[in-house]
Parts: sequence; C-alpha cells; structure tokens
Amino acid sequence: MTQLPRQFSTRQELIEFVKKLAPWALGDPSPIHGGRLAAEERLLKIDPIAYGRTRNYGDGKVTRLSPYIHHGIVSLNEVRNRAIELSEDPSRIEKFLQELAWRDFWQMVLTQHPEWAWQDAEPYKTGFEPSDYADDLPEDIREGKTGVACLDAFIDELITTGYIHNHARMYLASYVVHFRRIKWQAGASWFLHHLLDGDVASNNFSWQWVASTFSSKPYIFNLENVHRYFGNLVDTSPERNKILDASYEELHQRLFPNLQGKE
Amino acid sequence: MSKALILLHEKALRLSHPVFKVAPKDSQAIFIWDDDYFRKVNYSLKRLVFLYETLCELPIQLFRGATVEVVRTLQPSGLFIPETNHPIIQSLIAELQTFVPVVIVPEEAFVELEQDLDPRRFFQYWGKIKNRTSQKNGK
Repeated sequence: MTQLPRQFSTRQELIEFVKKLAPWALGDPSPIHGGRLAAEERLLKIDPIAYGRTRNYGDGKVTRLSPYIHHGIVSLNEVRNRAIELSEDPSRIEKFLQELAWRDFWQMVLTQHPEWAWQDAEPYKTGFEPSDYADDLPEDIREGKTGVACLDAFIDELITTGYIHNHARMYLASYVVHFRRIKWQAGASWFLHHLLDGDVASNNFSWQWVASTFSSKPYIFNLENVHRYFGNLVDTSPERNKILDASYEELHQRLFPNLQGKE
Repeated sequence: MSKALILLHEKALRLSHPVFKVAPKDSQAIFIWDDDYFRKVNYSLKRLVFLYETLCELPIQLFRGATVEVVRTLQPSGLFIPETNHPIIQSLIAELQTFVPVVIVPEEAFVELEQDLDPRRFFQYWGKIKNRTSQKNGK
C-alpha cells in the first residue's frame, strides 16, 4: 500500500504521473478536465429552455455535464434544482428534466436487474437471433476507418475527447448493431472504454434500446437525418456516406429482411 | 482500532454527498486506486486522467493497492460507503463486509419514490414521476 500525491504543478505533470501509474491504459488524455470546479462552470452555463428546442442538434445547447454526473461530482438533484431556478414554468424545461429522468431510470433498472447489464433484457425484434450477431468489434470501427465519413468523424471525436453527442452515440450504436450486425455488448464495451461518462447503466441500456432488446423496435437512421442534425459539423455528402443514403423503407428492407411481410 | 473511514469510489466524488453527513465528523475520506479494478473495467487513459484530476480537488487520502488489502491495513472501526449499483464495486463491498462493519449511504434522490416501479419502459416511469421532477429536491 502506498499513498499517492494529489498536488501537481501542471496538468501535464499529472498526466505523466497517471501514465506511469497505469502504463497499460491506452490513448491520450482528453481536453475535458475533471473536478468540481470544471463541473460548476458547466452548471452555471446550462440553458434548460434552449435545450428543449436544440438538444438533437450537434451544436445544440446540451450541458456536457454527463462526465461529472457519472462521477457523482454533481448529483442529478443538484442539476435539476439549478434548472428549475432558471424557469418558473416547468413545461418549458420538460425535455431537460426528462433527460435527467432517463438517467435516473436506467440506474433504477440496473439496481433491480443487474443481470441485464450484459445480457439481453428481451429478444431482438429484428428478425435475427442473438447468434446471428458477431461477438467482436472489427478494427475499422474501433479505429474510425469504416469509410462512412460522418461516422468516422464521430468515432474520431469519441477517441480524442471521450465525449460525443447523444444523437451521435445512437447513430454509432445503430450502425454497429444493425448495419454491421454485431452484438450490442461489443459496442457497449467499446464506449465504456472511451467515454468519460461511461456508465454501465446508462450506456448499456441505451445500447439495448437501440438494439431492440430493451425496446419494442430497432432504432435506425439514415443520411438525411444525420445531415439535418449534424450537416454543418461533419461530412454528410452522399458519395462519402453511401451505405446510409437511403429512405427508411429501403433501409428497413435491407437491414431486417426476415421481418418483411411479417409486420 | 482506528476511527471510521469514508471510502469513496468513482461514482461519488463530491463533498456534498450524503455520506459525509452520515459518517462521524472526524472520519477521514479515502479513495483507493486499485489497479486490478481499473484493469477489469478497462478504462482508457482519458478516463483515468479525468478521474485523477477529480481526486486531486478533494481533501482525501489517496492510496494505491488492492481495495481489500488497503482496508485491512488501515483497520478502520467501520466504513461509510456511498451506495452504488456498479457490479464490480458491489462485489468489493461484499468482501469488505466480511471483516469490517459497513454502512451504505444512498445518493440524494432525484425523485422520492414510495414504491419500486416496473423497470420495463421509461414512459410508465415518467408518467408517475413527471410532476415531482420539477419540484426542488424532487419532493
């Protein structure tokens, strides 16, 4: 047993120390800083009313508080109490409160059903059996070299910063599970490795929600949707995102052939 | 026998956590940097740096070692630990409970629930709690 230092003269010094402490840990540090001071700065800047209008957009008014909430640096209660100070009318911040409730809900689910953390909560509703899905995440996804420009940009951000927008998380999860037919567990484990807010409950159940093992149908998306919400942030040109450039009907037929004629 | 300790873990890293109110005032808070734990959860360097930065801002003692062995060495009269549903941390707590009295302290509630709700679908849950989410402290 040894006691570890808590004071460093620079962030770089701290980073070098952590590298020596955990030489097996992969990658580079995130530009996002830990600690209560950083959390309080973000808490002061939240805009729960604008959040409701813009949260699905890549440049929307999301709080980026999730790494701090995961570590208990701020509590959900504290974030809610701050939000209701900013609006006298609860209906104007309902979407914001609902997102906090999602997190609380997932925690409740894990507490009641720890076995669902890594097991399918329900069967897939995709026309496929679990054995139809691959166990491992291929290197091209892991490294952000899928050849689908918008997804590679999201993966690059995930690897570099340890944070991506929730909508981008859903796109990546849908791509992994439905376009590439890989088990959600492989993707969930990959996200937990990188995400600063990676939490078994929120992360794994969201993957199950996309996969349809914790929802009534699989979540899919197309290029038009990415263009609408992220078109000013990532390359959404059809020629560099061919696999996504289709209508929902076409994608449904392509991705879930066993369901055709059964719905 | 030494005094009681507050044992923090990665999901409860703030001084306003209820564990600090429940534990005796003179309890020292500690965090154990457990290599085996971090290897099991397979965190990237990004996550470890973020965590370490957070720990540096807290007035705690930071130890490196296997969780159970560090606690055995420190010989606290009891442990106060923030509640968690993390499977690996829960199994470590179960081991600690075999040789030291442990008090598990819940996190502040987001909403106060009078009963467990069906964990199948979010919108059933939302329908029941919606009105309380816009009340201070969820009450």
